[in-house]
Amino acid sequence: MKAYELIKETYLRKSLFRIIHVLWLFIYASLFLAPWPPELWNWGQFLFGWSGCVLPILLSAGIFGDDIATGRISVLVTKPVKITELYIYRILGLSLQGTLSLLLSAGIIFILHSATNRGSIDHLGLWLLAAWLLFNNFAILSTSISVVLRRANNSVALFVGIIFVYILFVSMMSFARENPVVVMVMDILKYTFPPFELLYKFANGRYELVKQISFVFHTVVLTTIYGLVGIIILNKREFRCVRD
Amino acid sequence: MSSEHDIRTAVIECNNLTKVYRTTWSGRSKGICALQDISLRIRVAQIVGLIGPNGAGKTTLLNLMAGLIFPTKGHVAICGHFARSMEARQSLGYMPESPAFLGTYSARAVLKYHGALLGLSRHEINQETDKLIGQLELQEFADRPCSGFSQGMKQRLSLAIALMNNPKVLLLDEPSNGLDPIGIIKLRDLLKQLRDSGTTIVISSHRLGELEKLTSNFIFLYRGQVVSFDDRLVSDQSGHLRIEVISGGNDITKQLQSKYSFLAVSDTKLTINVTGEEHVPNLVCDLVNSGARITSVVLERENIENVFMRLYNERV
Repeated sequence: MKAYELIKETYLRKSLFRIIHVLWLFIYASLFLAPWPPELWNWGQFLFGWSGCVLPILLSAGIFGDDIATGRISVLVTKPVKITELYIYRILGLSLQGTLSLLLSAGIIFILHSATNRGSIDHLGLWLLAAWLLFNNFAILSTSISVVLRRANNSVALFVGIIFVYILFVSMMSFARENPVVVMVMDILKYTFPPFELLYKFANGRYELVKQISFVFHTVVLTTIYGLVGIIILNKREFRCVRD
Repeated sequence: MSSEHDIRTAVIECNNLTKVYRTTWSGRSKGICALQDISLRIRVAQIVGLIGPNGAGKTTLLNLMAGLIFPTKGHVAICGHFARSMEARQSLGYMPESPAFLGTYSARAVLKYHGALLGLSRHEINQETDKLIGQLELQEFADRPCSGFSQGMKQRLSLAIALMNNPKVLLLDEPSNGLDPIGIIKLRDLLKQLRDSGTTIVISSHRLGELEKLTSNFIFLYRGQVVSFDDRLVSDQSGHLRIEVISGGNDITKQLQSKYSFLAVSDTKLTINVTGEEHVPNLVCDLVNSGARITSVVLERENIENVFMRLYNERV
């Protein structure tokens, strides 16, 4: 009952985002029916970009920050629920939202592609798995940030952070690629930041199986570390009844 | 009802409790000391009023008891367990000052949600939900979304959440906020019933008159320190003895001013501070021996508001 209620609460909390899901399906449909047929488009990449990167940032907005800001968390943490459980069930609720959205989107892509034969659905299964892994990775990172930041600032921070790191990465690649310090920073970013590049490579299906598995393993380990950091902070933090 | 042994058992125990709020991330500054070296024991089936001026540390003390914040020094135990432990939370019901709920949930859904968090079975949740909806008169609003609730309705729902699963300890922060007079009277009756059934209740409130109708046990906090607690405050409920004499009030005062504290003096009226009614007969004897021809003696007890003001003025 406890797990069910906590997962359900997370699943239902952002009712506004149901509209976003539906809107996205309309965008898919309009892309398929556009007069300028995107013959070379890979629909899996759309899935990866939208459901893997954008959707978790939107869905996880204020996942703990809202509770902390309104003081709702002060009642939750006085109930006999382990704080780790609270975190895990919130993540499961979020993951359930992402999973259903991904499956629905993939189903619609498959149907529209079969009907119109536009674009490509090569490796759609791999793209789907990569998008799901990336969704969870982003969602957990955003949730852990939400433990510290109020309201929906976690999503803003993550969005700005991604753009900042991306610009930093591109700048370093362009201007100082040979510098050993830059190489070290790039390596750190590559292995500690959400594994966008690795999962992109994974979904393309151009690597041997062992490498593919290592990409997935790296993502799972990184996601777990993000989650553990969030759980530790949540356990250590205080919940003062001060409303913003 | 609780046994003799139970009544003496401390349900809430604070030992050398200190709380300092850091004002900087680095923690280099001294910070704000919200509570300083507080030790107290609250026994089973007691209602205790937590009083004090703004910024005295009432909410901090309540938050520490609820396990929402950690002490800088010392510890709080609820039913013998560390305040944030699962065992302590099993025995705890907490009502915050400004309750907030998921706006899309109805009152019934909120209660079911919290019942599930308490680990109740589906049958128990339904039973508890129906009982609390009836007890707190939420029937009319039970299936409406919480987003449209008035402050009073939110308070009632918040109290219902705190009462789920009959907690041994109830911590209430301004419970009568936004309640109408009938709601306040019903809340008072309910809290008395809970106390009689063995629940320990700590109430932080600025409504001293309301608190006085519930309890004579108060913790008076001032600048993070306990100024007066429990029996000391009760015995501090001293009073004024207003005495009317035929004449010679000023002469009598001169004779007795080393022994008694005279608050107001005129030729025919004397007002004397007394620390308890047991002192009244001796005082009257002394007045008669001093030659006073008394026509009237009236003992006016201090109410909690007067005690509050007196303690506050002493500190300021």
